[in-house]
Amino acid sequence: MDIGPYVLQLFSGLSRAMVLFLLSAGLSLIFGVMNILNFAHATLWLLSGYITFSIFQFLSDQLGASPWLLLPSIVGATSLMVLIGLALERFLIRRTYERELPEQLLLTFALVLIIGDLIKLIWGVENRRINLGVQPVEMLDTLINPYHFVIVGTGVAVAAGLWFFLHRTRFGKIVRAAVYSRSMVSALGIPIPLIYALVFAAGVGLAGFAGGVFLPLIPMALGVDHDVIVQCFAVVVIGGFGSMLGTFVAAIIVGVVYAFSILFWPDGALAMIFLIVIVVLIWRPWGLFGTELRS
Amino acid sequence: MAAILEVTNLHKHFGGIHVTRDVNFSMDEGEQSAIIGPNGAGKSTLMNLLTGYHRCDAGKVVFEGRDITNRPPHQIARMGISRAFQVSSIFAKMTVAENVRSAVHAQMRQTFNIFGVASRIGGDETGRVLALCGLDGKRDIVAGELAQGDKKRLELAVALAGKPRLLFLDEPTAGMSIDEARGTMELVDQLNRELGLTVLFTEHDMGIVFNHARKLTLLHRGVIVVQGTPAEVRANETAQKVYLGEHQL
Amino acid sequence: MSAPDHRPGLIARLYTSYGLAAPVAVLLFVLFLSAPLLPGKFWIHVSTEILILGLFAMSFNLLYGYMGQISFGHAAFFGIGAYATAMLFVALKAPGGDIGVVQFLLALTVGPPVAAVAALIVGFFCVRLTGIYFAMLSLAFGELLFYIVFSWYSFTKGDDGIQGLLPPPFFQDPVNFYYLTLAIVTVALLVMWRITESPFGYIMRTLRDNQRRAAFLGINVRLHMLANFVIAGSFAGLAGALWGPFSRSVNPGLLGWQESGIAVFMTLIGGAGTFVGPMVGAVIYTFLQAVVKMYTVYWPLTIGTIILLIVLFAPGGVLGIIDKRIKARRGEAAAAAVEKR
Repeated sequence: MDIGPYVLQLFSGLSRAMVLFLLSAGLSLIFGVMNILNFAHATLWLLSGYITFSIFQFLSDQLGASPWLLLPSIVGATSLMVLIGLALERFLIRRTYERELPEQLLLTFALVLIIGDLIKLIWGVENRRINLGVQPVEMLDTLINPYHFVIVGTGVAVAAGLWFFLHRTRFGKIVRAAVYSRSMVSALGIPIPLIYALVFAAGVGLAGFAGGVFLPLIPMALGVDHDVIVQCFAVVVIGGFGSMLGTFVAAIIVGVVYAFSILFWPDGALAMIFLIVIVVLIWRPWGLFGTELRS
Repeated sequence: MAAILEVTNLHKHFGGIHVTRDVNFSMDEGEQSAIIGPNGAGKSTLMNLLTGYHRCDAGKVVFEGRDITNRPPHQIARMGISRAFQVSSIFAKMTVAENVRSAVHAQMRQTFNIFGVASRIGGDETGRVLALCGLDGKRDIVAGELAQGDKKRLELAVALAGKPRLLFLDEPTAGMSIDEARGTMELVDQLNRELGLTVLFTEHDMGIVFNHARKLTLLHRGVIVVQGTPAEVRANETAQKVYLGEHQL
Repeated sequence: MSAPDHRPGLIARLYTSYGLAAPVAVLLFVLFLSAPLLPGKFWIHVSTEILILGLFAMSFNLLYGYMGQISFGHAAFFGIGAYATAMLFVALKAPGGDIGVVQFLLALTVGPPVAAVAALIVGFFCVRLTGIYFAMLSLAFGELLFYIVFSWYSFTKGDDGIQGLLPPPFFQDPVNFYYLTLAIVTVALLVMWRITESPFGYIMRTLRDNQRRAAFLGINVRLHMLANFVIAGSFAGLAGALWGPFSRSVNPGLLGWQESGIAVFMTLIGGAGTFVGPMVGAVIYTFLQAVVKMYTVYWPLTIGTIILLIVLFAPGGVLGIIDKRIKARRGEAAAAAVEKR
């Protein structure tokens, strides 16, 4: 049997999984802590991709082309996204904390439309992609872009870092506590608005980081965010709202199932994902790793 | 008189904690009695078990000779058991009259009627219940905007609209002024006396309990400590120790 | 207004006895009746679109405004209704020729029942959940159905959609088609109004306010939610049935979550708390879209900004704000009258 295509799909699935994880981790944290479902999360990810592209372009023009320029580009774009996240929280999201779920959804959805169109206004309709010019390596009967390893490595590292942050640092523990009981955290004298602002900015920062990291693999295109955000919802639902481990496992399930489904049912690969979501929601509405308490 | 409610060996635990253990008691038709006990004694859990909101882990609940153990709440309600909640949980965005009217429709089995005009069905009964609970003048007020005492009265009205034969009241006078509380309990007495409605209530105020219940059940840590007439319970040493002592009778 | 101040006019009396929905409904109906007076075919087209999408949004509001659950998969029933009608339409059409009037009307009638069956199956699972979980499950079902239609080429023609749904010659005239749509939508909304004012309609409101309490009244919560889900799905199916002949084609996008989003927008722009709110939202949304698109391709940016402003400054939608204003003014007037005495 020729295992080449399968190996290729496995790697592409894992890479996809890492991006979904980086996005869903922020989405899940924001929802867990602030109870806000951020429809614009993937759009911010897309925006970051375009920003990374422009910084990379600018640096290449100034300093001459080199794949290593991607690093400062990602750092720059991520920092910018953190600032954008802080601004969005301060001026828009904060006004809807006391509102009902549909209004919050509407607000973040308005951001999807606005940011999506701003991207079109600034960068035009052309797809953007960075070609690092790396030679594929031959392994297991197929040619693999070594950048897949970079992405998977980065994803695992971020996951580990997040876990360490949430479980081993004081601030992380406060964030986790806020998922379970907001009143308890504010009773401890910790300013909730500050936690909210930082969690939102961190979530957007993670999405921004993912946008930059993914750029050499898949071109950024208008409207991609609409597909990606529903997949992130799928990841968060499957893993369970607020559970980091769940989000990680679910991202791998979604990424890999998608990649293999494409081999057998190209147009319906996403249908498989939604089938899993449906089964999970019927069987365990609180997700594979979530707790029943919050449902 | 025949027993309207028989509870045998009722058992419930959440995780490793037993919230009720071997609860046995029965109520005769037309009886008006109270469950008392300190906070966390399992009073609310007991009501949740009897009305189907929580599943019982063991034991049996029989109402009018029919086994209702672990039936879903809506089936138990249809058999003739109504319940008023401690924290008033009326339909906040609907008016007072709409609240009661929908409860009347549920009692009339009209809830799947999609072409009738709601305001023309069950109007008499709605008016009767509203008058009974002193909410006549507040028909068109949105329920969420009522004063606390009125909310509790509406809570009672919604429960009564179901024409129950057995009524559970969870802290019916909580949050009421002394006058309001007296009015409410007099209404309960009247329903019990004139309609023969069987009433079981929980209450913190021992004055109300001793004045309005003919039988008391004292729960402590999920176990029945003592059962009997108010005088018997007052005289019981264990009862004094676990509960009544704190209340300085 | 020619009515003298001391005697309230028809509109004011309608408001007093039926709330804001009645005068707005009367106003809308008059506007819709006279819409063909607008010059040019373009506005007839826009008006027809408003009616169809308005019906769709109002069917969504049966779930949201009346039952308190937000569905992101409601377009699935709109799309399924559209496809059912489109497929029968193609089957009944004489090859190469026009479809007969009877066959055309027959094709329109299959949309709602087919959508109802789909809603029964999807709803069976969705009504077990509430809140964000209900929203997510409806989204997942909607997307699943979208991808099934999208990828099942032999049955649905996939991405190509079904083209050439030209109505019978008489209804190819935009004004005639418009009045047909107006008649169907009006009847549908009268039926919907009856349902919302029925005992069942008020049971929906109890479920919106407090499901647990409703159960203790003897109401089978899931069964009632399912019934409403099917009713809402049927009306969405009817809107979908009209969409095919209106736009001359159907495509899988009609089932997607962005299409569901349109119903959500219209409902929240107009106001979910009033029966005709979503229709008002449909008027505003579709009309604005038509105007803005004449001048710029940046329609999403425009509507996004409008939605942002509504969420921040006009929660409760346009009708919610108007209602609040009127109530406040009437309250002041009443207070002033009391003071005079």
